Amino acid sequence: MFFNSLHFAIFLPIVFILYWFVGNKSKINQNYILILASYYFYSCWDWRFLFLLVFSTLLDYVSAIKIEKSETTSERKMWLWLCITINLGFLGIFKYYNFFASSFAEVVHSFGFTASPILLKLILPVGISFYTFHGLSYIIDIYYKRIKSEKNFVDYSLFVSYFPLLVAGPIERATHLLPQIKVRRKFNFHKAQEGIYQIVWGLVKKVVIADSCAIYANEIFNHYTTMNSLSLILGAIYFAFQIYGDFSGYSDIALGTSKLFGIDLLRNFNYPYFSRDIAEFWRKWHISLSSWFRDYLYIPLGGSKGNKLFQVRNTFIIFLVSGFWHGANLTYVAWGFLNALYFLPLLLLNRNRKNVDDFTLGFNLDSFRTLFNILTTFAITCIAWIFFRSKTITDAVLYIKRMFENHNFSSEYFRIERYSNELLALVLIFVVIEWNNRHKIEPISGKLSWLKLSLCLAAIVALGVFSDYKEFIYFQF
Amino acid sequence: MKQFLLFLAKGLALLLLTLVLLDVLYTAVYMRSDSRSKIDYLFNSKDKNYDVVFLGSSRVNNHFVPKIFNDQGYKTFNFGITRSRLEESALMLQMMVERNYKIKCLILQVDLNINTNDHSEAIRSLFMPYLHTSKTVRDFYRTIPEYNELLYIPFYRYMHYDARVGFREMYHSAIHKKTNALENEGFHPLMTSDKNLIPADLSKYYPKRNKGYEEIKAICKKNHIQLIALTTPMCMETINRDYFNHLQEVYPEIRRFENAVTDDKYFSTCGHLNKDGAEEYTKVVFKALFKPKK
Repeated sequence: MFFNSLHFAIFLPIVFILYWFVGNKSKINQNYILILASYYFYSCWDWRFLFLLVFSTLLDYVSAIKIEKSETTSERKMWLWLCITINLGFLGIFKYYNFFASSFAEVVHSFGFTASPILLKLILPVGISFYTFHGLSYIIDIYYKRIKSEKNFVDYSLFVSYFPLLVAGPIERATHLLPQIKVRRKFNFHKAQEGIYQIVWGLVKKVVIADSCAIYANEIFNHYTTMNSLSLILGAIYFAFQIYGDFSGYSDIALGTSKLFGIDLLRNFNYPYFSRDIAEFWRKWHISLSSWFRDYLYIPLGGSKGNKLFQVRNTFIIFLVSGFWHGANLTYVAWGFLNALYFLPLLLLNRNRKNVDDFTLGFNLDSFRTLFNILTTFAITCIAWIFFRSKTITDAVLYIKRMFENHNFSSEYFRIERYSNELLALVLIFVVIEWNNRHKIEPISGKLSWLKLSLCLAAIVALGVFSDYKEFIYFQF
Repeated sequence: MKQFLLFLAKGLALLLLTLVLLDVLYTAVYMRSDSRSKIDYLFNSKDKNYDVVFLGSSRVNNHFVPKIFNDQGYKTFNFGITRSRLEESALMLQMMVERNYKIKCLILQVDLNINTNDHSEAIRSLFMPYLHTSKTVRDFYRTIPEYNELLYIPFYRYMHYDARVGFREMYHSAIHKKTNALENEGFHPLMTSDKNLIPADLSKYYPKRNKGYEEIKAICKKNHIQLIALTTPMCMETINRDYFNHLQEVYPEIRRFENAVTDDKYFSTCGHLNKDGAEEYTKVVFKALFKPKK
């Protein structure tokens, strides 16, 4: 059940009505309705994996209580590592086993031996990377005594399985979500209205921007060996907007949907393409994952304490792990590595927290410098996206090589009967709208909201891509 | 909550209004367009008289040169459309009858397209703007599963088939941006390919009776149109040319022209002739089936 499907359009109002008109009397009823709806939502993907989700929930729930009740540190550690091992074990088997088995065979082969690894025919359970990290953050917080364990199993299950965030995040924290689940939610018109605006804007990002860009980006990346420089540059730009529209659009719909039930989720994107350096980009892109790695990997590794070499090591570790989190492919690792490289000068020069303040642009030299920094950051991000999108590292390198060596900057007519540059106007309009509304969560609220809502609805139905349906990219992770 | 329900009701009303207005706008634009495709040309024309019309897929669009017929005193037009299947050819013929066309002879390509009773989604899209205006189109699609949604939900047809009749095509139609679909009386020549021909493999094809073809036969019979069903050339490297014998076992009336042009220099791909090949082939067909009027 996709957020932009007819199935979801029927499912959501039914849950909304049950939640506010049937289960409104108590928090228990509200939570029961949400947990049943969440399990139904998840079983629509593949009901067999529901057992895995329930098992993972049960494991974290029991482990947390055991950790809290343990009297010795060794016992606490034992429960922590048992929980982490099992959780990561599932993730490893489903997501990474085949990658490691075939990589091992390739290494053995390079030494002149033959190995026939047993590869598993497994479907990746949707959302496994997200709910595993969700549960892990809870367990680690319990271990470090940052929070108390949740004794109510239904409440805890809802924290893990809450359907708006179940399959592609944002990766929530117990400190943020559980307190909201523990109390009865009262209907708030302004919050619900904001939710609707966010859903509509999320749909614009997904079906208008991301899916349109996908048509062009797919054509260019699939035939990059015959494309000219301009098409290859545009291909990288289109993919940058495809992945941004796709994932931030998904997050907007998730956050908006959740607001309809009176629950706020963590913000996942904060206009990352207007970042002035790569450090700022990573504070604004997939915020819930970046902050997860910061809190549960970077800081435990020592973070920014210690000498520069130590900090560089930690930085590379989190970027490489972050890349690998996206999928069992070296292209993702290369993407992480490249981002770590971009980050390196900022770290060495102590400039990684330089751009944390707000800014405005005017007609002066500072503004020109800021604009230049934004464009440079976007350009290097696009280069990294080429690795993310390509099938192999070789493809990515050849793509970039051809982009710089072809020197043909004319507009190309593709086999899909479209010119390479004809989507630029749409992308530019989108950038202008985002720029003008970068201090808000979505651009619809405020003055003339009905007019803006009408324009968004018209854009969705008239400019949206419906016949060539594309899944949300982050569902595969 | 009451306030929110009212807000939602207004939002839904706004959505409905948007859909209705867009539907009216798109339909109005398509009704005025007659130079983007053979289907809009057909819809916006009336009372045409033709000695011969050609119908079929790209193997008609790229193979029959109306000029060769016209030079001999005939009035012809190539209505072949790339990716079209026999179902769409049947609908085009029905539209011609609806638009009061007078046609003496129909040349229909019946070869590889006989294998499927399925439709072409790409070509079906092009008929969608006429769903409300043409009874023929409406009746033709009455049995398809999404018929009710396409007919009754405003703008649904343009969303469902957005790749072909969505905003991009509507915009091009609105500014009257021409395509080459109607040039050369509908004939679209292909270039010679520099690469060697990749043999077509017909071993996966099994000729069977075809609903669209049966329908075309019935329409022709009812409207006194002479129907010539024929095959079109494939390169000699084609695997399983025996396919054409099986084809004739299913439909004995089909005229065999798959060997009319054999030299590789006449082919653009194994299943498509280049410009010279198309001229050669049209001449062979003309000589075999027609006499010059002039």
